Amino acid sequence: MFSSPKHKKNAMRRSAFSNRFYAMGTRLHLILPGLDESVGHRLFVQVKREVDRIERKISRFDPQSDLSRLNQIKPGQSAQVDEEFFDILMACKTCWKITEGAFDPALSGKENEPSIEPGMNKVQLFEENRTVLLTDGVQLDLGGFGKGYALEKVSDLFHQRGVKHAFVNFGESSVLAVGAHPAGGNWKIGIRHATEPRKSAFVFGVQDASVSTSGNFFIDDSGKTIQHHHIIDPKTGVTDERPVTMSVSAASPLLAEMLSTAFLVMEEEQIKRVISLYDDLKVVKIDYSAGTDQPEITEYNSNQHNEQGQYEDQSEKVS
Amino acid sequence: MRINRKKFLEMTAAFAGSSVMATHMPWFSIFNHPAPDGKGAADRVRIGVIGVGSRGTALTYNLQELAKTMNLEIAAVCDNYEPHFEKAKEIVPEADAYMDYRKMIESTELDGVVIATPLHEHAQMTIDCLQAGLHVFCEKAMARHLDDVKRMYDTHLEEDKILMIGHQRLFNPIYLDAMDKLEKGGIGPITMLRGWWHRNTDWVFYENTGGRGTELDKRLNWRFYDETSAGMISELGSHHFQVANWVLGETPESVVGHGSINFFDDGREVYDNFALVFRYPNGVHFSYDCITSNKHNGMQVQVLGNDGTMELESNMWFEEFPSDPPSAENLLQQLEDGENETIPIGGATWLPDTPLRLGGKYISPEYEMNDTLLYLEGFVNYIKKGSAPEKLTIEGYNASIWTLLAEEATKTGQMVTAPEKYLL
Repeated sequence: MFSSPKHKKNAMRRSAFSNRFYAMGTRLHLILPGLDESVGHRLFVQVKREVDRIERKISRFDPQSDLSRLNQIKPGQSAQVDEEFFDILMACKTCWKITEGAFDPALSGKENEPSIEPGMNKVQLFEENRTVLLTDGVQLDLGGFGKGYALEKVSDLFHQRGVKHAFVNFGESSVLAVGAHPAGGNWKIGIRHATEPRKSAFVFGVQDASVSTSGNFFIDDSGKTIQHHHIIDPKTGVTDERPVTMSVSAASPLLAEMLSTAFLVMEEEQIKRVISLYDDLKVVKIDYSAGTDQPEITEYNSNQHNEQGQYEDQSEKVS
Repeated sequence: MRINRKKFLEMTAAFAGSSVMATHMPWFSIFNHPAPDGKGAADRVRIGVIGVGSRGTALTYNLQELAKTMNLEIAAVCDNYEPHFEKAKEIVPEADAYMDYRKMIESTELDGVVIATPLHEHAQMTIDCLQAGLHVFCEKAMARHLDDVKRMYDTHLEEDKILMIGHQRLFNPIYLDAMDKLEKGGIGPITMLRGWWHRNTDWVFYENTGGRGTELDKRLNWRFYDETSAGMISELGSHHFQVANWVLGETPESVVGHGSINFFDDGREVYDNFALVFRYPNGVHFSYDCITSNKHNGMQVQVLGNDGTMELESNMWFEEFPSDPPSAENLLQQLEDGENETIPIGGATWLPDTPLRLGGKYISPEYEMNDTLLYLEGFVNYIKKGSAPEKLTIEGYNASIWTLLAEEATKTGQMVTAPEKYLL
């Protein structure tokens, strides 16, 4: 009656464990160099469990999540949340302040109520009893936060378990490189060229750090560019549609995640101000406005002069 | 996307002639090809409701909803418990009201009845109604004893009248979509089913009865007593036993199980927890458990296959093997070769073709529709046509037979198979 089961395990490699799963609307792919199947699988299960736990906590699509329960509270009523969720909201508020409102997980409530102006100032946090008050009908959406936060937790998990090398690709947009590349040196993370996805428009060299990219299009598995306009400028309420991607590398995956989203809708001077607050940021803006064959690349670094240049083979620049 | 009536009809029309519709749920065609709905008094379908307690009231409201769009009348209501009798008259003041169902079928002209009485009363009422020439919609499970289940089924054949059992998932469009996707290999070969129904409740329907063991308690909280119910096995489990048979297109070969009262030891006679394993052909097992002292796991039926998992109660479909991102092969090869070259990887967030929710995707869109209402709409339509797909009755029959066999397994501690005489 049944056909014989297909064997879908990866071809056996001695050098690395590899597996993937769906979470937070996208795909997480994990590579653990130097680990065999049994050790790798045990870590993989722990990673999946942790990411699933976080998704169930902050998902807008799970009516039981902490986030949904907060969003469902009647206007004017405050709600007590657990320590972790309170810390999450504090982190969001801090980032909202640092980015002068560009990173804003507060939404304007219901779609048919555009009159409500969003803003984290309408999310009041009371530290003494960990309560939250949403005013003016705002709702929270942690879409620009979740993957970075999850990678932060995964990174902690790896350090606790003494993992020397790991590479986590969370939906292409959030990448975590743990330790050095097993062959030595930095992991070379290329930001794919929009129309030549086998090439990199820019290359980050990182270890024990993360690269996060935001933009209004992504590249599907066949290499095709898919428009996905989902980033709204909180100042104007207008969806950003420019052919621009913003990538941020930082030791903290969460910081990289939040800033890449915010920088997409920030002015250059504002971006520079934020970068000056940290000493480990590298920010790269790739702008295809002048055509896909000549993206304009602008690079900003903590403690360094900013560089600007035209598209060329950037792999030379990696130290 | 939420599916309304119009979109639902487009979907069922698209399934017309498909093998899943023919083999798993031929009754869904009734919505695209309803019986002619004549507007005259002579065309009106006249329904009697027997048993207007908790479930019976819900069914009555559903029938009233249906009467807004169909030529249908609740012509009689019946309940032998005074407060329910009074409530029934209040809900349907225009109907003839009875305390004895035999008087009802004698005195009021009816086309069909809806029976929602305690389990042990189903058989005689159903048989009397069928023999009086009425079509019957009877709440699940069918009867308290195996022989009664068989007698009900046989009478339906002898009298050539419709007998439908209230497993409303049979009319749930999500299950229609799920059956189609399972048949097309959506999760690969099915290798196991798991199901559970966990609640944290004392399950007391009526509080002021004088407590367990009193005559009134036996009458109202009939689900607690061996004579009148198999407890959660018949009142909850039977729904999911029906689903398992339906998904696999088979009936079990055997069942084993255990049950006990380990928390709500208040004088009730039925288990407050049980665990069963049904064995199906080809070595496929359905493991099922029920508990009423813990609700953490909620309610679910999972269909497990080599390529994925479907969670039928939550409309979710999980892939076992998501595809690797394009960068994976390159990166793994480099690690294998001890090289460190640039990996073109980063960009804005990759999204799959179908949106994901908590690591899975919807089996089917979300419906604004109520499967109990669809079931009753089917019942009224089939009354007009004079017959219904036999598979619908058989689904109810097999579920009830295996409900009682499962109970037997828990009581004897033995592996139980179906005696020949109960096989159709």
